[in-house]
Amino acid sequence: MSMGIPEIEDSGCLLCFGYNGADSHPIVARRIVRGKQKGMKIICVDPRVTETARISDIHLQLKGGSNLALVNAIANVIWSEGLTDDAFIREHTKGYDEFIEVIKEYTPEYAEPITHVPAEEIRRAARLYATTKPAMILYGMGVCQFSQAVDVVKGLANLALMTGNFGGPAMGIGPVRGQNNVQGACDMGALPNSYPGYQNVTDPKSREKFEKAWGVSLPDKVGCPITHVPRRILHEKDESKRIHAYYIFGEDPAQSDPDLAEVREALDKCDFVVMQDIYMNKTGLYADVILPATGWGENEGVYTCADRGFQRIRKLVEPEGDLKPDWQIIAEISTAMGYPMEYKNTEEIWNELIDLCPSFQGATYEKMEKYGCVQWPCRDKSMEDKGTPYLHKDGKFATADQKALFYGTQWHPPLEKENEQYPMTLSTVREVGHYSVRTMTGNCRTLRNLEDEPGWVQMNTEDCRRLGLKKGELVKILSKRGYCITRCLPTDRVTPGATYMTYQWWIGACNELTIAELDPVSNTPEYKYCACRVEKIEDQEWAERHVQELYEDIRAQMGIHTGKGAKA
Amino acid sequence: MNLKQVQTTCPYCGAGCQISFTVDTDANKIVEAVPADGRTNAGTLCLKGHYGWDYLNDPQILTKRLRKPMIRKGGKKSPLVEVSWDEAISYVAKRLTEIKEKYGPDAIMGTGSARGAGNEANYLMQKFMRACIGTNNVDHCARI
Repeated sequence: MSMGIPEIEDSGCLLCFGYNGADSHPIVARRIVRGKQKGMKIICVDPRVTETARISDIHLQLKGGSNLALVNAIANVIWSEGLTDDAFIREHTKGYDEFIEVIKEYTPEYAEPITHVPAEEIRRAARLYATTKPAMILYGMGVCQFSQAVDVVKGLANLALMTGNFGGPAMGIGPVRGQNNVQGACDMGALPNSYPGYQNVTDPKSREKFEKAWGVSLPDKVGCPITHVPRRILHEKDESKRIHAYYIFGEDPAQSDPDLAEVREALDKCDFVVMQDIYMNKTGLYADVILPATGWGENEGVYTCADRGFQRIRKLVEPEGDLKPDWQIIAEISTAMGYPMEYKNTEEIWNELIDLCPSFQGATYEKMEKYGCVQWPCRDKSMEDKGTPYLHKDGKFATADQKALFYGTQWHPPLEKENEQYPMTLSTVREVGHYSVRTMTGNCRTLRNLEDEPGWVQMNTEDCRRLGLKKGELVKILSKRGYCITRCLPTDRVTPGATYMTYQWWIGACNELTIAELDPVSNTPEYKYCACRVEKIEDQEWAERHVQELYEDIRAQMGIHTGKGAKA
Repeated sequence: MNLKQVQTTCPYCGAGCQISFTVDTDANKIVEAVPADGRTNAGTLCLKGHYGWDYLNDPQILTKRLRKPMIRKGGKKSPLVEVSWDEAISYVAKRLTEIKEKYGPDAIMGTGSARGAGNEANYLMQKFMRACIGTNNVDHCARI
């Protein structure tokens, strides 16, 4: 996020795009509500009537998969009506004319049939965003989980650039990172193309620096993204590129990744699978080795929150059992393989890494203790450098000439379209009380009691009437790739033809249906769009029994004995 | 009963809320969790922040907490057998070394974790993959 989370409530106008804070980040959503109370205008772009949509001034309820057409149309209105910040464009950006050439044709009338948003509504939204200062954009997975995702992120950045909404507080553009430490895992270089601190593996200078620090020569090719792994195991012909070993740490791809049938086949065919985790999970059923780690609350370290804030995590209780912290397990394997890693504690590791990353160098444990949170960039170890609340101060960007670049791209539709056999669409969304694959929250008594298997499919009431479905009824939902059983939730918060499911359920496992098509740059799957069909189950008594039996079977596989009906 | 207060960062979502815990150190159990005055949460928490620490009590609801290293000694689909850490570490090291020698470093994929583990473990994982294995095949669950 270019801004800090506390700044949200002080913005003049929020363009909230494909981001449902009330379910994914309730405490960030609270800032949106407070902003509203302080007079902030809200434009919500979402195919569902989310909580943010309910308090918005303008809700653009677009058709899923039309994001870039809408963003380009907003840009078109700002340009054609002369609502641009010309001084900012002149002094701080490049590529404006080429960008205009691309968005010229995206008039609101051109976008209306693609987005299903009336042209006049697009105009109203564009005018409100462009004429209110400061204006802020927040976006979420409703932007990122499409096969055209990076283009939309750039498209949103174009809007902020053409209206001069960078360089001060309460403006800019913010991807509100979903998982607790997804910002941190990126910061630390758990990415195929970058070392810690966003230093590129293909840049000889960066490589030389890390070679010197680590005392080895390093590969210069970009590595394999995680979403390519199933295909690199199953279909790669070149033996030197085929994946034969998969060391999975703190993840459950057999539940969380798209097209689960393909993931299971890949894990099954992979020669050697190592799983390092805290709870047994679906991936563990395919692991050759399981390494038990300490969990949150049992170890020390640092997380990075969504707005670049480094904060400490601390040990609350002593771990029970034969467990080791993740960092120690990795260090011991490395040492056993002939590359010694010896650290006494997490602070030693931290001190090594911040000295290799100019943007993190000043963020010491001492500062995190004293100030609670340090937002990067924090370059100087002196206690006076308390970090950076918002980026691009005074319109200076992290490019060689400090100028931002406009990128104009054409909209393209999602890859799998509705058809006769699968006439509806499926998008995956978030559950407020459960996190990720729910091995943590599903093992918390209060949260489990709030929501449990097999989850829900949100459907428009008209579709439910047509299919003869009532609230709570078990239904079968199918795509080209698989099917699952879940409960029907009729709601007018979603439009006819679209369905929505959350991804943590074993029985209502929507990733049996999702498609493994990827954005070409980010390699993020198109979780937000695939074709599906919903079928009524006539024998509800059988279905209820079947769900119960499935649940007990899977729990037994996970080492939980449920009593009656469960396998030993 | 000996009690201690510990402040830490919530493990759910990227908001980075601060929680203040009261821990009974004799029983090794959490007694209470209340919102702390963090920069982003300013004295508030959502339901996951309030109730999401119960998994540390291992209530045996959904899945078994892993307590010992395990290996499928009879190959794929054979049962998992509990082993010592020494055996688990040297087995993983041996198999990864064999695969690296036979197919090259790019035949091995490793992941970081965007969840509980923390930045230091992610740093070491990518260092391990790059410096010890010799590949840039490292990524994490950012995309899901």
